[in-house]
Amino acid sequence: MIDSIAYIFTRYCQDLIRAFMLTLQLSLLSFILGFSGGLTLSIVRTLAPKPLEVILRLFVEIVRGTPMTVQLFFVYYALPVIGPKLDPFIASLIALSINSAVYQSEYLRSAMNSIPRTQWEAALSLGFAELSSMFYVVLPQSLRIAIPTLTNELIYIIKFSSIAYFVTLPELIYVAKWIGSKTFAFIEVYIIVAIFYVVVAFIIGEIMDRINRRLSIPGLTVERT
Amino acid sequence: MSVLLQAIDIHKLFGKQHVLKGVNLDIEEGRTVVIIGPSGSGKSTLLRCLNLLVKPDRGKIIFNGIDITNSKVNIHTVRQKIGFVFQQFNLFTHLTALENVMLGLVKVKNLSKQEALKIAKESLLSVGITEDLWVKYPAQLSGGQQQRVAIARAIAMEPRLLLLDEPTSALDPELTVEVLNVLEKLSRNRMTMVIVTHELGFAMRVADEVVFMEDGRVIEAGSPEKVLLKPEKDRTRAFVSKLMELYRMERIK
Repeated sequence: MIDSIAYIFTRYCQDLIRAFMLTLQLSLLSFILGFSGGLTLSIVRTLAPKPLEVILRLFVEIVRGTPMTVQLFFVYYALPVIGPKLDPFIASLIALSINSAVYQSEYLRSAMNSIPRTQWEAALSLGFAELSSMFYVVLPQSLRIAIPTLTNELIYIIKFSSIAYFVTLPELIYVAKWIGSKTFAFIEVYIIVAIFYVVVAFIIGEIMDRINRRLSIPGLTVERT
Repeated sequence: MSVLLQAIDIHKLFGKQHVLKGVNLDIEEGRTVVIIGPSGSGKSTLLRCLNLLVKPDRGKIIFNGIDITNSKVNIHTVRQKIGFVFQQFNLFTHLTALENVMLGLVKVKNLSKQEALKIAKESLLSVGITEDLWVKYPAQLSGGQQQRVAIARAIAMEPRLLLLDEPTSALDPELTVEVLNVLEKLSRNRMTMVIVTHELGFAMRVADEVVFMEDGRVIEAGSPEKVLLKPEKDRTRAFVSKLMELYRMERIK
């Protein structure tokens, strides 16, 4: 077993690495776009007047309530009917980003809601407007709170990016399946792929943990030794 | 002396609860006004109405000749001129003591970093927060220190008026003194202040005027001697004697 894994890995090393890089590119970009979108969405929803809030909430519920694959198929197959045909990478990027934006907006919103109203009052009393109170007082505190859940989201999206397989993007799972069907060594190649995912998740977990500790507020956050 | 702030017939309802039932209040420039009254009498709500943290349902607030309840007035600019000190201090938890004081100066008043730093340091020193504490975060400071930083944050903005909502209620008795001393100093320097407090000794010593509130109304107002020692209304007398009792017990301890 070990031998055949080693064989498959050396034989298809280049293909696997290329697929791995594609997976990484797609998921990191989706996360970053998703974060920008999620941040905007959560800020607007927190400060917006009621009617706008209701519309945005509807959007969130629709995206959150439909399967990711359906969203991807919609972007890849249905959108070209009214617009341009997108290549698999762009289509996957759009679908993943929108989906992640919605989830991230909810994580951020719950973090914002956990900041006591008194912090808002203190900022407003100094003469800050609502938006600046958000930026200078509430956001810096809520981002710290959201780091662990955002870490989850990042790891999650790296694994979920494999649905790009459905629109023929040669990412990790796609290439694994291709290697499997050529060599019939399905188990071996999936073990290799699983190791890739685990290692990435571990590294990201470690990095985010370090960021989290660096940003912890002295005296407020419980410090681990 | 000129009237700096005037509250006219202020009403506030929270749901069906009528918290303020037509309050009138004149704050003259350079005076220290102390508001006393039982809990639930609307003192804190009234104070929050004065800088529109709470929007009154009826009535007007004239600050420096301008009706700030008018929706055309930019309330954020007005609030720069009205400092607020909270019962629970409400320092920004993610910033050091020094950064807490600087934030408003840099981001609201658009001062340069150096100017803000200079003002912030002076302001912190004036409330007795020494250099070793400037880099501490709120969670690393005692309650009394936090409240003094909060006062420094408010006065650094050079407000025309300072509102204080039970500034010592969350503090241990020995920490109360250090905050009260700072307030007494501000009062002597003719900072216009409205203080909600239960510290009768402080009110007696420092206040130019004492206002007694109950059930959403001003019951009695006047000099501390008049309201605290020779109250005209029975309700004021009942409240003050109850507080005096507590005050005495506190001193025996």
